Amino acid sequence: MLNENSPNAPPETETAARELPRLNMGLTVAICCSCFVIPGLGHILMGRWIRGILLALAIGLMFLMGLSMQGELYSSDLNQAPLRLFGFFADAGIGLMYWLAEHARLGAGNMSARTYDYGTAYLWVCGLLNYLTVLDAFDIARGRKP
Amino acid sequence: MNLSHFGAMAVFALFVSVVFGLVTKNTPREQFRYGVFVFFSFVCVAIIVGWLMYPFPW
Repeated sequence: MLNENSPNAPPETETAARELPRLNMGLTVAICCSCFVIPGLGHILMGRWIRGILLALAIGLMFLMGLSMQGELYSSDLNQAPLRLFGFFADAGIGLMYWLAEHARLGAGNMSARTYDYGTAYLWVCGLLNYLTVLDAFDIARGRKP
Repeated sequence: MNLSHFGAMAVFALFVSVVFGLVTKNTPREQFRYGVFVFFSFVCVAIIVGWLMYPFPW
């Protein structure tokens, strides 16, 4: 039997990694979907309140500022220039807020506005950051990080 | 909203550094330190690249 202090005991970090709680795959998928739909919600559901609230604030404010800077939200129209689909992929990462803004006809974009480019970049990047938070939620749910 | 270019860049750097710090590090101390590092990296690199581009008119 291995004692914690014996030379053959696994390193402390390895032991700690094994003890991380791990959700089953169904719950993990549900957590990831909730995190995709509303940024930070997955973390909040897993009890990471502060992390979830900070993520929601950062990503949500970034999206709102992008809209208020008259940035453009790209649509999923397949008849548009193919490269614009990359913009749609980035924008759609924000989840529910993207669809709400599209239905409210926000995000039309005003190219003559001084902040148009920044606003559009804000909208792209907040969607891409939300993809990162989904991956982070996945790692936490699977017990790969605390 | 009518931010200057520098203001928009600084706010952008702030939001991105918050998310990077939270997502990539585990402890609050590490997250804060990394977030500050990313924020200042964004701002410093933007200023340096801006000055490097300054002499070129096109």
